[in-house]
Parts: sequence; structure tokens; C-alpha cells
Amino acid sequence: MSRIGSWLVLSFRLHRWEALASVLGTALLAAAMAWFTWQLRTLAAAEPACLDPTTYVVACEQSPQAFYELASFAEGLSSVAWVAPFGMGLVLGVPLVSREIEQRTAGMAWALSRSRTSWLVRRVAFAALVLVSLLFVLAITSEMQAAAQMPTRHLDQDFAWYGRRGGLLVVRGLAALGVGVLAGALVGRVLPALLLAAFASVLIFTVISLGMDRWIEADAVVMATGDPEGGRYLGELVDYGELGRRGLSIEVIDEEDRLFARPEDVGHPERMIGWGRSLIVPGRLYPQIVLRESAVVGGAAVLLALAATFVVTRRRPG
Amino acid sequence: MTAEQPVLETHDLAKRYGRRTWALTGIDLAIPQGGITALVGPNAAGKSTLIKTWVGFERPTRGGVTVAGIDPWKDRSGVLGLVGYVPQAPALYDGLSVNDHLDLAVHLRPDFDRPYARQRLEQLGIPGDQGAKSLSGGQQAQVALALALGTRARILLLDEPLASLDPLARREFLHVLTDAVRSDGATALLSSHIVTDVEQACDGLIVLGVGRILLHETVADALATHWMAADGAASSEGTAIGSFGGPGGERLTLLRSESSSAGPNLRQASLEEVVLGYLASGRALPGEAAA
Repeated sequence: MSRIGSWLVLSFRLHRWEALASVLGTALLAAAMAWFTWQLRTLAAAEPACLDPTTYVVACEQSPQAFYELASFAEGLSSVAWVAPFGMGLVLGVPLVSREIEQRTAGMAWALSRSRTSWLVRRVAFAALVLVSLLFVLAITSEMQAAAQMPTRHLDQDFAWYGRRGGLLVVRGLAALGVGVLAGALVGRVLPALLLAAFASVLIFTVISLGMDRWIEADAVVMATGDPEGGRYLGELVDYGELGRRGLSIEVIDEEDRLFARPEDVGHPERMIGWGRSLIVPGRLYPQIVLRESAVVGGAAVLLALAATFVVTRRRPG
Repeated sequence: MTAEQPVLETHDLAKRYGRRTWALTGIDLAIPQGGITALVGPNAAGKSTLIKTWVGFERPTRGGVTVAGIDPWKDRSGVLGLVGYVPQAPALYDGLSVNDHLDLAVHLRPDFDRPYARQRLEQLGIPGDQGAKSLSGGQQAQVALALALGTRARILLLDEPLASLDPLARREFLHVLTDAVRSDGATALLSSHIVTDVEQACDGLIVLGVGRILLHETVADALATHWMAADGAASSEGTAIGSFGGPGGERLTLLRSESSSAGPNLRQASLEEVVLGYLASGRALPGEAAA
């Protein structure tokens, strides 16, 4: 057996339970997505004109019902796809170091390996390989399901299912892996490290998400509330001042685009005329925003990996 | 490096855990190249801490340590290239077989001598395809020793590998160790609190008590210069080291004398009595450990 093959086999034996759990979870989810994709495509192919929102066909009044019911049910899977990178990243990442310390094998391994950094790189490389392979499958199946579910939309320029499909799943998984490895190295016990990593993931990704929203505000446009055509709502404008500021609820303006409502008018809809306005990131910016967030999350993953290396090279083996 | 040059050294080594607990206090040691030195002391004497500072797993609070002149904290990889280490209560990977452990060692350390380690294990009848989980404690210790020996390191640091072994397994372990050290000309430091087992295997003896060195000399010198006196016997024939209770309840005192012949009230001390005498002297001064 080649050296790489032998390393893969040994690594799998060391992490067989978390690797098998991840493979099984991915297989179930991907299979379910593939089945729904097939079903949705079959239904859509039967009456293609009925799913076109720009046209109205009298005969279609009942026929898309089955499609939309199935699509609604299938949409739940996209939520699982959103959670999967975090779950798999933590399950694969946390035990890498913490189990070695907890089961007292770290002393032997770190003494045999002259460099703890190279020891960690080998371990993380296997977990990353498994994670990227599995999330790649999910990224594709979720894209396929999204395309089947929204057949009339151009999903390459649409924020629909943002973060629940495509390459972001892979990058987010790698960052979660970094959180898991770092938490495991810090705590040195699997279960407490898993809890810490879960909490830290929520915190880190919330901060990243809020930061990304702030960043893309510069690219946002103001538009009347309605169909954003693949755009992503950032917020609705409420400030009774300049339009550029981000607010919390609907601003009301008059026909001449001047502010109509005053603070005292809020809660009295009869006094308000005009229409709401929202901050929208246009759908055409979807690839750019995904790339930007991938770079940020990928950078976070690298920083987390460096921090984990720093901890591993300095901590006691248990 | 000449044979006289020490391979393991400490200079005023002190290690503190937390704010108050001193594991080691001002240790000065120089262990020469070649042979096996026993590091003996009770639980919590600081044996593991001392060994871990040499491996680079613990950072000294004060003073320093060197391995063949290299500071492990400054150049850990340099030291690990010279050292084979058997941790306390050797833990193997449950999911791996014996052969998997050897393969893993080759991946972690490309110069690992797998055939040599495999041969050592075959001599003991330990099958390569057996899972580590199903090995006895003695076999697990032998696998850990084979992993350390397979590094072909010139220095072996063994942290209480005998603690959980039955007498037969201990004897077998020591036989493999002495055989390897004698044939390879390596230097081994073996920590233990079981004196009788190391008496036959070791050339040097270090008694560590409450964080400080109580005795460091060759086993032969330790046996030649220590005598036991029963209660009330004159101690003018040597320096009293420490007293402890004998098996019959009598009070025994360890004396040190360079004289080659014993007085009428003295008998030659066994190695266990030498160690007990020094540990008793160490216990009489517990305040020094925290100084």
C-alpha cells in the first residue's frame, strides 16, 4: 500500500465513528434531496407552463398544487443542509486533539512526532478531506434541489436559499472544523469541548453574518417593498431622516418621494399613504457576495487553524 | 560527546503548578551517557514532572534542563529526535492493532525502525494483528516500549512503565529494556516506586523525595556505603541518614559510611532500605519543598 493510502487507512481507523456518522448523515440527506429533486422535476415537467409566474393559465389553477406542497415539504431539507456544515465540522474537529488528551495517547504521539505541527496537520488534513468531500456532495445536491424547486429563477443570480446551497456549505464546514479543533485543544475533553465549540460557532458565525450585512450595505439599493427579483433584503427603512440609513420597519413616503409619515403617525395606518421601501442587495451580486463571504469565512478558518496549532504546540499532553 | 559528558542535565530546576504547589525545587542533576538509571521516589515526588521537562512537555518555572546539551523548550524537535519516551500508564489507540501502531510511528517519524520494533514484539509473542484494546497491561507496556525502542533514540525516558504490571510482566519488561540498552549503548532513565525490580536492572540510582534529590549515585556505591543499625545501636560509625520502621516493628536507622567493613552492630543495607532511609530523611523536612 502506498504511503498516502496507509495514512488514509490509519486515519480512518482513528476517526472511524465520526467519519462514518458524517458519511451516513450526508448519504441520507443527499439521497432525500435527490429524491425530492426527481419528484419536483417530474411534476414540473408535466405542466411546465403552470410554474411560470409571468403567465396566467386558467387550466393551471389546480395543477401546481401538488408541486408547491411537495416543494414546501422539501424546503425543510435545505434547513438541514444549512446546519450540516456546522454539525459535521464540529463532530469531525472536536475529537482530533481532545480525545488524544483525554485518552492519554497524546504523550506517545507527540513524543514520536518531532513536530506537533506536522502531527496536527496530518490529523486535520484527513478530517478536512472527509468534510470537504461530503459537503461538496451536499453543495451539489442542494443546488439541484433548489433548481428543481424554483425552476423559473436564475439561481446563479439569486439569493434564494443563501447559505443553504453551493460552495458556502463547504467553506462554513471548514471554519466549523477549525472551531472544533481549537476548542478540543483548549479543553482537552471531548464532551465539554463539543459544547464549547457549539457555543463558539454560534457566536463566531453570528458576528460574521452581522459583519457581512454591514459590509454589503454599500452594495444595497433602495427599492419599493415587493418582489426583490432574487435580491436579498437587508432591512426595511424606517428612519424619518435620510433614506440611506438602515432602519427597522417600513418607511412611508408620498408620491413625490418625500417622507410622509412622522413618528406620531406610526400606529395610525389611516394617516399614511405611499409605499414601503427596503434595502435590497440585487440578485446579480449573488456570486460576488458568496465569494466575499467565502473569503471571510475561509480566512476565519485559517486563523482558527493557526490558533489551534499555537495551542497544541504549547499545551501539556494531559 | 564523550562517555563522561552527561546526556541529561538539570540546573536549579524548579517546577510549580498553580501558585503554591511545587513539584520540583532546585534540582541539579547530571546523568552520564550509557546504562540505566533508576529514578525512585514515592507518589507525587516529582518523577513524572522531571521526565516531562526533559521531553519538553513541561516548562521549568525556574532553572533549566538539557538533553545532550539541547534545551527541550527551545528546541523540542531537536530533543525529540534524540529521545524515546514511554509515558506513565502507556495508553494505546483502542481502534488500532499492534501493527497499526508501528505503521503510525513510521508516519510520525520517518526514521522509525519498524522491523526492529516488530522483532522485539515477536520475541515476546505479541501478534501484530491483535487489537490494542485486547492486549494485557504487560503487553501494552511492551508495545509502548517497542515504540520507544523503534525510534533508535540514544536516550530513553520511561515514566513509571512498571506501575500497573504484575511481577512477571515487570521482569519481562526490564529484560527487554536492559537487553536493548546494553546492545545499543543507549542511556535510559526509568522512574519507578518499586525498588526491588530496578535493583538488578539499573546501574545508577536517583532518589527523589518531596521535589528534591535525596541521593544520586551508582547502585554499586549505594550498596557499598550504606549500613543498617537497629534501635539503640551506636551511630558513631557513620552518618545517620534516616530512620524507619522495620518489618518486626523495630526502629531501623540508615547510616552512610565510606568504610568497607561494618561494625558489629551494623549490617549492609539493601537497596530498598537505602531508598527508604533517604525518603525518611526527606519526609523529615517537608517545609523545604515549599521553600
